[in-house]
Amino acid sequence: MLVAWRYRKRENSFIQSFDPRAWLIFYICCFISTLSFWDVRFLMPFLAIAIFVLLTSGVKWHEIRRAFLFIVFFIFFFAILTFLTGRGGSEVYEQEHLIREFRASFSILGWTPVLKVTIERAFFAVSQLVRYSCVAVMTILIPYSLNPALYGITFKGLGLPDKFAYAMDLTMRFIPTFGRDFQLTMDAQRARGYELDKISGGIIQQVRKLGPIFVPVTIHAIIGSEDIIDAMDLRAFGVGPRTWLDVLTYTTRDRFLIAAGVVLLVASIGISAMGFGAFWVPDALVRLFS
Amino acid sequence: MDKKFTNVLISLVVVLALFAVVMFVLGAQEPAEGALFNFSVDQASVVSRFVFVVIGIAIAFGVYFATKSNKAWEVGTREVVWMAIGAALYAVFSWLFNGTVFVVPSLSQVSLRPAIAIPMFFGYAFGPVVGFFTGAVGNMFGDALTGFGLSPQWSIGNGLIGFVSGMWMLFSDKKKSMDTVLYVSGALAVLATLLFFMNRGEANMLYFDVDNGIFGDAQISLFAGLAILIGFALIFGVRTFFKNEDVATAVTWGMLGNIVGLLFASLSDIVINGFSLAAAIVGEFLPAAGPNLIFAAILVPMLVVAYASTRRQSGR
Repeated sequence: MLVAWRYRKRENSFIQSFDPRAWLIFYICCFISTLSFWDVRFLMPFLAIAIFVLLTSGVKWHEIRRAFLFIVFFIFFFAILTFLTGRGGSEVYEQEHLIREFRASFSILGWTPVLKVTIERAFFAVSQLVRYSCVAVMTILIPYSLNPALYGITFKGLGLPDKFAYAMDLTMRFIPTFGRDFQLTMDAQRARGYELDKISGGIIQQVRKLGPIFVPVTIHAIIGSEDIIDAMDLRAFGVGPRTWLDVLTYTTRDRFLIAAGVVLLVASIGISAMGFGAFWVPDALVRLFS
Repeated sequence: MDKKFTNVLISLVVVLALFAVVMFVLGAQEPAEGALFNFSVDQASVVSRFVFVVIGIAIAFGVYFATKSNKAWEVGTREVVWMAIGAALYAVFSWLFNGTVFVVPSLSQVSLRPAIAIPMFFGYAFGPVVGFFTGAVGNMFGDALTGFGLSPQWSIGNGLIGFVSGMWMLFSDKKKSMDTVLYVSGALAVLATLLFFMNRGEANMLYFDVDNGIFGDAQISLFAGLAILIGFALIFGVRTFFKNEDVATAVTWGMLGNIVGLLFASLSDIVINGFSLAAAIVGEFLPAAGPNLIFAAILVPMLVVAYASTRRQSGR
């Protein structure tokens, strides 16, 4: 049995009112455009688009809560980690202006922990937070909004041949299915006293002990494939050009959305190429701490 | 051109186009923590990365061109479904065992990545085309799910692991080909280990420190450096002492696939990231290939035996 991503048809959903191909193209354009900038001022319009899409998606809070909180936690975690360590930011800025330095009152094996708070680190963390929030908000909506029944025809519509479109379609459909199978197998093995989190011994022992999880999930997937193969063979898969149950057709508003996405992308790349939108800190703050 | 040749050519061009879209369109960004999929590719080196994707696909096509009459290249309904299953399984296992979902402890810098057995097994059991798709697409989705960002040449390297694992089907004399593969793999393993002893100070660039979320800061450990010889010895043991020829074939060709695929990926970083030969081999290839051989020697036989048993029961 296939388990789908958490999709359902939603009334008055802005995303679902478009052709999935048009929406994916717009999403990709938005995605790249967002990541063309580090300047918080340039990122704000993208954050506004992302929030608009979220609020008009028709996805209920209780549906998205777990995934949303998980992602928000990760975005904050990495932004704070970047702020504390300064890692990652050095590729974007070269000079740092110190606001304050906190030095620990203790040492560990001769090393004294030091936290340097600089303007660049602080603004880099904010930029990172905004950028990833824009991307995450729009990305998280895809599995909730894109009908799994349309994966194949969408890939086909984007130019892939039938067999590859169908293989990609199946791959995307199988990922949550096998994730569930893994969980079921692990629960079944736990009931028999197997604990994946507590495997011990040398490396060979540890690898060997992964077998009770690894082998059943894989072999079960292969056995299950026979039903799918039979069903596809019975429908003469691959004998001739494939017809799809659903037919996607672009409407005027889909073309408008694609055009808007492409214009946004071209404009963003152009602006970025002209040197605008790079990492920014307010001059007044720099002067203050110079 | 006959139809099959045209189909394979089109398929490879499509794979190339897919990578081009992912690298140049989806990949033009920094890592996106928290996104469902993260397809980021370092844009400073994106052209050279793409060149290596082209080279990897050209290698696969060259092998196909030389043996195009072989049945191993046929792609029907079964292969399409197995491709999808292999890629999805590889993606799911990569995601689960990457150190962020299940924190399986590393032993002396050797992280447990059992997922690598999937492209080896699918390549062996279902042929080089299925193996290639499983490794390349599965690694791409696995990386995207994990959030580490994409390294397309490593996805192609993973594709080559599955591809080479299925190449035993192209040889009529299974035993002779296995012996040749064993000698070649052994020689490469010894050469890589020698390079390790000559460059003990190199950092293990694939070691992921889960506690600190940091890649590649620690000096490579002795165990990680010698893991390829340990893995080779294990596979040699399986090859010599196991009476099951299927198991011996799977692990031997899986070993060569692992060495070829990861050698391709790590050597590409000499051009892409400006690594020295020592950094590429000692810092990247050994910590990846060595442990993988250990997984190949243990998990692949389990899968081969279980699959053979299933086939006997189902009669397929």
